[in-house]
Amino acid sequence: MRKKFVLPAVLAAIGALLLVASAYASTGSSSGVAGKVAKKGGTLKVNVSNGDFTFSDPGLAYDTLSWSMLYTTQMLLVNFPEKPGQAGGQLYPEAATAFPVVSKDGKTYAFTIRPGLKFSDGSPVTAAAFQRAIERNLSPKMGSPVGVNVQVQKLIIGGEDFLAGKTQKISGVSAKGLKLTIKLTKPNPTFVSIMGMQWFGAVKPDTPYSTAGLNTTPSAGPYTIKSRDAGRNLVEVRNPYYKGTRPANPDQIVWTVNTDSDQSLLQVKAGQADIDASQPPAAQYAALGDQFGLNKKQFFVGPTSCILYYALNTSRAPFNSLAVRKAANWALDRPALLRLSGKYSGSRSDQVLVPGVPGYKRYDIYAIKGADVAKAKKVAGKPLSGTVTVFHSTSASQTARAQVIEYNLKQIGFDTKDRPVPGGLYYKTLGTKGADFDVAYAGWCADFFDPFDYINVNLDGRSIQDANNVNFAYLNSAKLNAAMDKAASLSGAARATAYQKLDLTIMRDYAPWVSYNNLNSVYFVAPRVSNFIYSAYFTSPDYNALAVG
Amino acid sequence: MFYFLVRRTLWAVALFIAATVITYLIFYIIPADPAKLACGRACTQQDVDRVRHFLHLDQPVWRQYLRFLWRLVYHQDLGRSFVNQQSVNQIVAGGAPVTASLVFGGAVFWLLLSIPAGIYSALKPRSIADRASMTFVLFGISAHPVWIGLILGYLVGFRLGWTPIAGYCDFFSPSFGSSCGGPVQWAYHMVLPWLTFMVLFAALYVRLIRANVMETLSEDYVRTARAKGASEPRVMVQHVMRNSMLPVVTILGMDIGLALGGAIFTESIFSLPGLGRRVIQAYNNNDLPVIVGIVVFSTIAIILFNLIVDLLYAFLDPRIRLS
Repeated sequence: MRKKFVLPAVLAAIGALLLVASAYASTGSSSGVAGKVAKKGGTLKVNVSNGDFTFSDPGLAYDTLSWSMLYTTQMLLVNFPEKPGQAGGQLYPEAATAFPVVSKDGKTYAFTIRPGLKFSDGSPVTAAAFQRAIERNLSPKMGSPVGVNVQVQKLIIGGEDFLAGKTQKISGVSAKGLKLTIKLTKPNPTFVSIMGMQWFGAVKPDTPYSTAGLNTTPSAGPYTIKSRDAGRNLVEVRNPYYKGTRPANPDQIVWTVNTDSDQSLLQVKAGQADIDASQPPAAQYAALGDQFGLNKKQFFVGPTSCILYYALNTSRAPFNSLAVRKAANWALDRPALLRLSGKYSGSRSDQVLVPGVPGYKRYDIYAIKGADVAKAKKVAGKPLSGTVTVFHSTSASQTARAQVIEYNLKQIGFDTKDRPVPGGLYYKTLGTKGADFDVAYAGWCADFFDPFDYINVNLDGRSIQDANNVNFAYLNSAKLNAAMDKAASLSGAARATAYQKLDLTIMRDYAPWVSYNNLNSVYFVAPRVSNFIYSAYFTSPDYNALAVG
Repeated sequence: MFYFLVRRTLWAVALFIAATVITYLIFYIIPADPAKLACGRACTQQDVDRVRHFLHLDQPVWRQYLRFLWRLVYHQDLGRSFVNQQSVNQIVAGGAPVTASLVFGGAVFWLLLSIPAGIYSALKPRSIADRASMTFVLFGISAHPVWIGLILGYLVGFRLGWTPIAGYCDFFSPSFGSSCGGPVQWAYHMVLPWLTFMVLFAALYVRLIRANVMETLSEDYVRTARAKGASEPRVMVQHVMRNSMLPVVTILGMDIGLALGGAIFTESIFSLPGLGRRVIQAYNNNDLPVIVGIVVFSTIAIILFNLIVDLLYAFLDPRIRLS
């Protein structure tokens, strides 16, 4: 999965959250699925194949692996519960006594922190802890790109001056005892959801700024990071002062990074490791499913918030023509693309939104069951010719997929030029305006469950800049931008309905992508592991809930 | 001997400068804009320009290189990772002992196998043992270390359960949370990597030793020694082995130096957090300072071991010293 660079400044309806919150206000116990009490104790051994935490500092970390680890250590104002299914994607007040009190003008949010909360060093958690988290996210002394990505500096009064180094404090954030008040520049229905991101977990008010990030720092969640040896391992132990209701089943969690995925699978099978956070090799999915059964005891498949697609470059011929983009949507063989990822790797899609996101409705308006060359030629309206540049990373899987779509494009009359780019440079090259491509692989996973994060972030043409774009189709339609603005301004059911229509409109009337895969996450655990609770938000199990005792 | 030492050391310094120039040019000039890589994904052009200035990339290349060399030689500073700002010195210092564990341990294994096997094959050419050892040579040279590692991991580690499938334990003071540590666990976890290394290198060395011993056995001085009534063990140890081992010492020094730069395949397969594994990770992230740091370390290791071999060679063979 790919990290996100730009996030909206808008999101989900607070009213809906409040309703949901009441159901989860007392959530999070050490009970497992179906009410079974999970065993406590032991060391959970987690391998991370072919990867490492970029940062373990919540002010800098920004990838699904780091976030799934930080989830076990962080205490947020609002958080996701350790619940399976959609319930796990609904926020509840964690450190806050309740959802915030919002002023009538919608611009002031007042949180009250629960009394008695403590960091892992025994010091109390107060409102200043959350104030510091916001400051660390935006301080120029941190160099953190993440707050800037979500435009938090524009969202909170005084944020831009603070980011520019003009002030020592953010004027819009005040902390007095257990009262945290945040003043916004304008009403924003997504603000509570933004506070549910891992960047905004409690940190001690004297936590220093660090461009390199702190490997260990006291935390207030169920666990705390005891040590980190970058490139080798990270060790978490229980926070002895945590008195909350979230599960903390293993005594410690040891993450061994940069393991080999094939050997790691053998280690899990042999019980020498408990799980590989990077998932087993895709080629083994089918065999594991056959041997261990699906979602029973050891082999688990769960949906993610990710959509994989091919962006069609709307800024130049031939895909500056809607008819040609529609033809591509009929010509590309989605099942063939999916098969290359292995069994259980995902489900076919031809739209922007994914199941679970408010407003999602399955449409199936294009060749969802396989390429339809005749239909593609027909919708193109004219014979297609010329050379199409296919842009993909040099990985074996991307190269194989590129071969499929090059074949599909040739079927409808195009010649193709293959343009592989090394993985590390891929998104940087693709995100540079004017990049030489016509069709490019891309993917997107949600920072939070709201259609804004898919549609506005990826397709609002006004966000296109010289470099670091995420609108890889380079689509810029004033009419569509206005429709996106309108949908973003709504809340509740009206918002969901608006985005539902927008999803259809985009794919039918603009067709900037050939979406093909709602990605799944696949996990295989050792025989001794129980209480597997999958989080679609983190696209991983809740590691603090896994039991190995 | 003194002049020989000075001459060789000066050559080593010249080689070091040449290697760092090439490394610097390859990694900083050719591939991509390091300022963009260092800046991160969400930087504006202004940010990139600021980073370019901060990294002195807006200066002429020769000044950049001199700055790089000065920092390296005077401050012994290899810089910081673009990805996570970790000190490259720390990365190299953390990975080098792991790689050294693999390389030196592996060297002991492959020499223990290849020296007797090579000598025996030379003494009994075309015997069953010789043909068996040559078959092993063919297998070892042909098989890729990844395949050897995977097979060993599967058979010995998984099916038989005799060894850990992968992983590493520190020899000294294991880090917090490590499930193992100390010399016994260290060796236990290194058995399969050593065996993998052994199969690969022993094949080369058996062939080399066999050829050298066979050649030496036909030398006049060996025949003379036998004619003078020297015992067979004395002939073998004093005359044959001492002379036939000279090329082995040369190759061994070069191989160890090269391998210290990172035994990429073996470290990857057995999840050893050594330099090879780190360089692969850095490559995937385009983390140029880490790649350069490890390459520079590898260069120094190769130069150092070549120097040691040269000195050892001069000690073993006075003709070289005199020339």
